[in-house]
Amino acid sequence: MAETEAPRPRQRPIVRLGIFLISHSFSFSVVCCTAGVLALLLLPILAKNTYISENALMPGSANPMLSNQDVLEANRFVKDLIALNSKPRGSGIESQRLIAQYMKDLGAEVNYHKFHPQITQFHPLQFFSSPDSGTVERNISCSFHGVNTVGITRAPRGDGKEAIVLVTPYNSQKIKQAEALSLGTAYSVFSLLSRVTWLAKDIIWLVSDSQHGEYAAVSAWLRDYHIPMFTRLHTVNAETCPDINYLYDVRDNSVTGRKIYDGFKRAGTMAAALVIKVVDRSETFDDNLNIYAEASNGQMPNLDLINIVNYLAVHRQGFRVKVEKLWSLLDSKWLKNLGELFESVGQVVSSINPQWKFGIPAADYTEGIATLASSLYNQALGVPTGPHGAFRDYQVDAITLELSPRASVDKIIRQNDFLLRGGRLIEGVILSVNNLLEKFHQSFFLYLLTSPGKFVSVGVYMIAFALLVAPLPMVAASLYADAINLNSSQNNEKTVADEPGTALRSLKWVNAAKKVFVVHLWGSVVSLLPYFICQIPNRSPTVSFIIWFLLSVLSFFIMFLILASPFSHAKESQLHLREWAILKSVTMSATFIGLCLMSVINFSTAELGGLLLVPMCLMAQPMRRDIRVGSLSTLSRLAYNLVFCLIGFPPVTFVLLKGAFEGFNSINVGDFWCWVESLWAWSSATYLYIGMVHLPCWVLCIHILFHHC
Amino acid sequence: MLFKIRTLFDSMAVTPLYLYLFLFLGPSNFSNSPFAHGFPSSSSDTTMHTNNWAVLVCTSRFWFNYRHMANTLSLYRTVKRLGIPDERIILMLADDMACNARNKYPAQVFNNENHKLNLYGDNVEVDYRGYEVTVENFLRVLTGRHETAVPRSKRLLSDEGSHILLYMTGHGGDEFLKFQDSEELQSHDLADAVKQMKEKRRFKELLIMVDTCQAATLFSQLQSPGVLAIGSSMKGENSYSHHLDSDVGVSVVDRFTFYTLAFFERLNMYDNASLSSLFNSYNPSTLMSTAYYRTDLYQRRLEEVPVTNFFGSVMETIHTDAAYRAPSRKTSGRADIKTSPDKMVTDDQIKTTTNSNVLDQSSDQKQADQACPFARLMSSFKNKVQTVEEADSLVNYGLVTMIPLLLLSTLL
Repeated sequence: MAETEAPRPRQRPIVRLGIFLISHSFSFSVVCCTAGVLALLLLPILAKNTYISENALMPGSANPMLSNQDVLEANRFVKDLIALNSKPRGSGIESQRLIAQYMKDLGAEVNYHKFHPQITQFHPLQFFSSPDSGTVERNISCSFHGVNTVGITRAPRGDGKEAIVLVTPYNSQKIKQAEALSLGTAYSVFSLLSRVTWLAKDIIWLVSDSQHGEYAAVSAWLRDYHIPMFTRLHTVNAETCPDINYLYDVRDNSVTGRKIYDGFKRAGTMAAALVIKVVDRSETFDDNLNIYAEASNGQMPNLDLINIVNYLAVHRQGFRVKVEKLWSLLDSKWLKNLGELFESVGQVVSSINPQWKFGIPAADYTEGIATLASSLYNQALGVPTGPHGAFRDYQVDAITLELSPRASVDKIIRQNDFLLRGGRLIEGVILSVNNLLEKFHQSFFLYLLTSPGKFVSVGVYMIAFALLVAPLPMVAASLYADAINLNSSQNNEKTVADEPGTALRSLKWVNAAKKVFVVHLWGSVVSLLPYFICQIPNRSPTVSFIIWFLLSVLSFFIMFLILASPFSHAKESQLHLREWAILKSVTMSATFIGLCLMSVINFSTAELGGLLLVPMCLMAQPMRRDIRVGSLSTLSRLAYNLVFCLIGFPPVTFVLLKGAFEGFNSINVGDFWCWVESLWAWSSATYLYIGMVHLPCWVLCIHILFHHC
Repeated sequence: MLFKIRTLFDSMAVTPLYLYLFLFLGPSNFSNSPFAHGFPSSSSDTTMHTNNWAVLVCTSRFWFNYRHMANTLSLYRTVKRLGIPDERIILMLADDMACNARNKYPAQVFNNENHKLNLYGDNVEVDYRGYEVTVENFLRVLTGRHETAVPRSKRLLSDEGSHILLYMTGHGGDEFLKFQDSEELQSHDLADAVKQMKEKRRFKELLIMVDTCQAATLFSQLQSPGVLAIGSSMKGENSYSHHLDSDVGVSVVDRFTFYTLAFFERLNMYDNASLSSLFNSYNPSTLMSTAYYRTDLYQRRLEEVPVTNFFGSVMETIHTDAAYRAPSRKTSGRADIKTSPDKMVTDDQIKTTTNSNVLDQSSDQKQADQACPFARLMSSFKNKVQTVEEADSLVNYGLVTMIPLLLLSTLL
């Protein structure tokens, strides 16, 4: 051909490269997928040390001013709080009064915030938008409300446009020692800050009432903070709820005589928020600090916030800082071996050129992978890991600091020391944030942590994902090209210019696309079904799940009968010899698009989904062909396909993962329903991903697997 | 040089011959032709150093740049202490740290963690503050091209006898200095402004002192004579802060400025420390950068220039016996202008009508100068012989040889 057409222009290199890749799509996809998985495993090694990016922060530049005097005051406060437990009546109201009294004595502005926790309900039309306050149902019983106590210290010379928020969740019904300590820590800092001259931002101390969940209280307060409400809810409640009346009655005849403002107090926009929790875990070695950062849909606070907390905790106050890990991974043999392998590779590399820094100790590597896995998992789930998640919905950077003291905090000296260090840590963080001029913006928002001091930025981790999904369009193009070539060669054999043949050829592509479209449409119907199932009263999770499953299957058949039947009688045609190949190619394209879209919304979901979907998509082949050939390779491929299709089914994936981490004995069919319910309650995009990308892709792969050809 | 000629004439003034010479050449000719036209390009070189100005600029905003304001205020304090009056200091501060809400010591600025010295005391006159500190305003100050409404206190009213100290601190880079958070001054801009100043005879000598990262690069485009430049760091080097005040929570002074101040703290107005001793006091290991001096545009030897020439208001004084006979050409020019109304009449009229009058004046002058005319003459001649050796000797000898000619002409 080339010899006959002498003046044929050379194709551009990019086109030639494309053709080359498509023609070698098999080896290309094998290489890319392996490289993608390998790159993911290499991430702990490629992680960089964190650094403070924003000049203004200057953590640790000033000496902490929190003194023992503040700690003693805080101790008194803690004692008073715990003493309330022994009182019989209305401990909740009493504790809020006590807290408000202490705040007022510091000269802070105090107000109570009453709220009704939002009822988690599936609203398909309000999936990503936060539910607006108008939807709060009014006819909730009085017992079902919480009261937050809010204290605000104004910056003496600040412009009042910005604020820093401290949050201490506590259960007002029963105050535990650890919770009281967290309140004490915040109190010691708050009392210091009410005296200092250097505040440029107002300080808000939110004592959130966690009897209906830590998150609910904080998110209710944030909602009211940001969305002004002109109807006064408490006046409505005042007639019906004696408890609240009591709270305000007490206010009037309090000792100081100063009134507690019964409206909603506000300060400026929030620069950052710190949620302080103390847990009594009795660590053996050191005082521990756990940092929780993941908010809804895998959003993370600015890395600088984590950096300053980490820096101050490690270098100033001597805490042992941790981020969440998947503990089960730490003991796994293969990870240790992999770590040792990487370590030895690193040693070889550094012996070649000492300049190249590659490889970390095997122990660090396993820790890094465990942290990375937890980071990926929490982000992929899209459910916030603490009350800080509520702040992220308003674009406020927030983290939860979970302090756990070394020994039991009953000993008073230990407790004082713990309060002092915890308080100084928080003071340092607030001082740094106070130095900020703008919001946090210098450092990363898209990152994965591999340890408190190491991170993988978006530019690095995207490589792993890109390598993983790159084969999809290549193999799709190659399959399509093969199918077309095959058909056209057949056509050539029959008649040179077969008009209906070409028409059908293009129609076939449309048919496959139509099928894929129908399946995706079905996927969205399946995602909508829970809305109707939720309307059924008195259902258990198991029942709900079974109903959901049955309805899904039913709707699948209905849809297929109505929409997908027209091409079912064209299948006898000779032209459709490779129909499954075209269907597979379209499926892969759709999956590729879905994964790429998801990677923009929530990278971790896309990465984990890609790990499941890409091998399944790439290998899917009609079962009959494999059986017909019957060689070892085809049979092993068949087995592989069956296993992957089993794993890829979302409920099975869930059960396997849950079993792997928590043990199989506690697994119940209803768990999946509960899990899905939590996903939509947090309006996690993962829910949409499962319904609209993962499930249709899985169904299409099953379809290809059982295709007749 | 000019001064030396003047002394020659001064010495001759005691003789009546001088008078004749004066009348012969005519006062207006005398004052204009040989000097104003004879040495036009090097006029400022020959001008006396008569006054001192300082332009002190802090170019960066924000709380964490506290040290830049402290640097500038420290320099301000130093030059004031060494004798430059407030009305000759243009102080530009891009932000107000003293009133920043984050400042633990409201309305005070310190440059040392011992907090002994409040730099922001009662006598601080900030001429340009906050967002007024822009590249445009800075260049306007240097070149003197202000809007008409700008008050005199915000102008650099220097003249060709001025020594100007230009101190700048902030964040710099390769051939630029950042102003505020949005603009930058490039080395070309600075060189251009200095060139304009030179053309407009706004300075005699200019010392540019810059404490930024890569400060040396800012001087690369300068080409005007009489400019001396010191930078805190070479190209590719950073300038570091000296120490952190853990009470205020920020770094309070930069290294280069700290050691400059340490040098000046030992001095008072009457000390004779030279510029070279200042320059040699910078130790690269304590500075953590290499201080850079650009001296190729500067004529005088640094060993002979006292630092107070720039950082103080100390200048060479010439002892004259007459109260109002200032030695500088410029002031004498002024004197000429003042006396000119009665000399506006044409020369031939003067010859006849005011001859006696002038004679009387000169005789009065003689009375005043009576002390010992011949001894003065001799001593001034001796001085002249001692000092005049090089380039100007030709002129002097020419003038000396004119004396017999004049004698001859008067006899005839």
